[in-house]
Amino acid sequence: MRTFLTVLKFELNNYFKNKGFLLTTAVLMVLAVGIIVVPGIIMDRGTGPSSGGTKSEKSEEADYTLALFDKNASVPDLDALSAAMGMKIEWTECTDARQAENAVEEGEADAGFLVDDLLHYTYVVENRSMYDSLQDTFSQALAAMYRSQVLTGEGIDPAEMESLYQILPESETQILGKDSAGNYAYTYILIMVQYFLLIFYGQMIATSVTSEKSNRAIEILVTSVDSNSLIFGKVLAGAIAGLIQCVLILGSAVGAYQIFGESWGGLLDNVFDIPIPVWITFAVFGMLGYLLYAFCFGMLGALVSKTEDISKVSMPVMMLYIISFFIAIFGLNDSNGILIRAASFIPFTSSNGMLIRVAMGSVELWEIIVSCLLLVTFCAGTGVLAAKIFRFGTLMYGNPVKFTTALKKIREK
Amino acid sequence: MRLEVKGLRKSFGEKEVLHGISFSIESGKALGLLGRNGAGKTTTIRILMDVFRANSGSITVDGRPFEPKNFRIGYLPEERGLYPKKGVQEQLMYLAQLRGCSRSEAKHNSARWLERLGVEEYAQRKLETLSKGNQQKVQLAQTLVCDPDLVILDEPFSGLDPVNSQILKDVIQEQIREGKLVIFSSHQMSYVEEFCEDIILINRGEIVLSGSLGQIKREYGRNRLVVDLGTEDQERLLSDYAGDLLQIVGRRKKQVIAEMKPGCTKERLLRELLERKLIPEEFGNYEPSLTEIFVEKAGDQP
Repeated sequence: MRTFLTVLKFELNNYFKNKGFLLTTAVLMVLAVGIIVVPGIIMDRGTGPSSGGTKSEKSEEADYTLALFDKNASVPDLDALSAAMGMKIEWTECTDARQAENAVEEGEADAGFLVDDLLHYTYVVENRSMYDSLQDTFSQALAAMYRSQVLTGEGIDPAEMESLYQILPESETQILGKDSAGNYAYTYILIMVQYFLLIFYGQMIATSVTSEKSNRAIEILVTSVDSNSLIFGKVLAGAIAGLIQCVLILGSAVGAYQIFGESWGGLLDNVFDIPIPVWITFAVFGMLGYLLYAFCFGMLGALVSKTEDISKVSMPVMMLYIISFFIAIFGLNDSNGILIRAASFIPFTSSNGMLIRVAMGSVELWEIIVSCLLLVTFCAGTGVLAAKIFRFGTLMYGNPVKFTTALKKIREK
Repeated sequence: MRLEVKGLRKSFGEKEVLHGISFSIESGKALGLLGRNGAGKTTTIRILMDVFRANSGSITVDGRPFEPKNFRIGYLPEERGLYPKKGVQEQLMYLAQLRGCSRSEAKHNSARWLERLGVEEYAQRKLETLSKGNQQKVQLAQTLVCDPDLVILDEPFSGLDPVNSQILKDVIQEQIREGKLVIFSSHQMSYVEEFCEDIILINRGEIVLSGSLGQIKREYGRNRLVVDLGTEDQERLLSDYAGDLLQIVGRRKKQVIAEMKPGCTKERLLRELLERKLIPEEFGNYEPSLTEIFVEKAGDQP
């Protein structure tokens, strides 16, 4: 135990004295705070009374300049059309289609409309963007004008009819289970946090094991200390460093939201209002799942003697995690489905699977306990196997040793 | 403390590389494991250090099974290596603590060894910034930083410059004087002769020679003489006039090494030579060097 703590302390020091680690943590903390603070300030400026001057100044400018060729004078009033579109529009009236097209081509107008009548028109645009909604807006405005004309003709007040369309029944929601729609955001964020932790620390743990082989310190180490202490110390140091980094980054974001949350107008309350059971599930399953994969990475690190071989041998474990990740992403939309139910019991996928079920689906306490016990057992077993492979791989220099070969040799012993 | 190794056998796959290695050594003495490259010295040491498990055989200390983790062992492996990107004293302290020292003991010992080896000014520097010679000194400091009971050195002189070799020799002699049990492997015989009382010579996984170095030399010299008649054709003269008394077995510079045949004595041979007016410039017992014994025992068989 004493030597384990010595290894743990040494390995933690390696992380906390690593400039790259410190810099990444600092940058991510600043980024997390920035993401909360900057959009909040912008939104605040957009809606606050102090920005009134800017807004009124802006309102004098048109949102769009549009060319219009009204072939049969179907549009009775351009101001009414602008109002129906809900925009401030500067209309350039054209005498023929060519003139409207030229205005668009030469950039004098953002787009053009060649109107045959209220139900038929052509939309002219230079480059159509992904998010171009002008045509839809124009269609709706023309349709409204058409309805208005027809209703007036029938002797019905169009305004009255419009107000009838606007009526919505008053409703309240009573959620007996979980609000998947509301929980989606934070569940997704927690899954992503775990994904990045694994990608980042998995490689670091493997590298830390391999570098001891590549710099030939390993023979001194395995003759000085039990290999269980070495591998558990290394992996747990990675886990603790990851946890600390995670707490610092998420803590910065939560702290910033506490201070600047008002300017978001409660928009992110759903993201940061994570219930305690979800936090506990994330802490227990996330940490155990992370340890399971970390032991796998440590084991793979022991099978190679050059750090450049790590990415090659770690591919299967990485693939395994990516599969688990995709199952989780799929499960976010079907939190009670058979796939996510199965995944919540399989140790390699249960860290994400159980988190989704606890956060968004329905799960029994016994299921959580069984899944947790399975994960703990698998985690401890993988840790012991990792230590054995680490010990076996001590003097295996040169080409990477196959995992199956290592297992066979260990069994022979 | 008495360390006893009995009948170590080790196979890698189908191939047996150690065929029953046995030896013993007590505290305050140094044992040299000699042998050519690939003879089995490092494998023997790695079995001692529990890096490998032997297929059979036993290792005991004072009659009880030897568990390396129960002793403070200063081990210098053949594959040298430390953390190049870590501070010198920081990693020495880490290794000392792993081998059972308290933090304060580790700090004190690491500072003492760095000073003793003349590299204390680099204590806070990263190892990779030191010259190769100074890195070797740090490697030696890591071996001894835990104040070991047993010192096991695998090819300690390999790659050392003459100055560092001298420092290492002094340190090993200090350790022997302090009553430590020292085992080291080498194929550099001059160092072995300097501070080893006992040697074992391993060839192809077998012990071909073992025991006290002085006794081995005497036994190897028994019945052998060195003669220098001061003439160019001394080998022919000796064969012609004393061929029934001795047989020439080799040369050492100008001297002829000859083995006395049964019935021959030094007095009789000398009388024979003097009667023929052959007056030796040198005449005496032959004491072989360790290198000669090594080559004879472990050299390629014709």
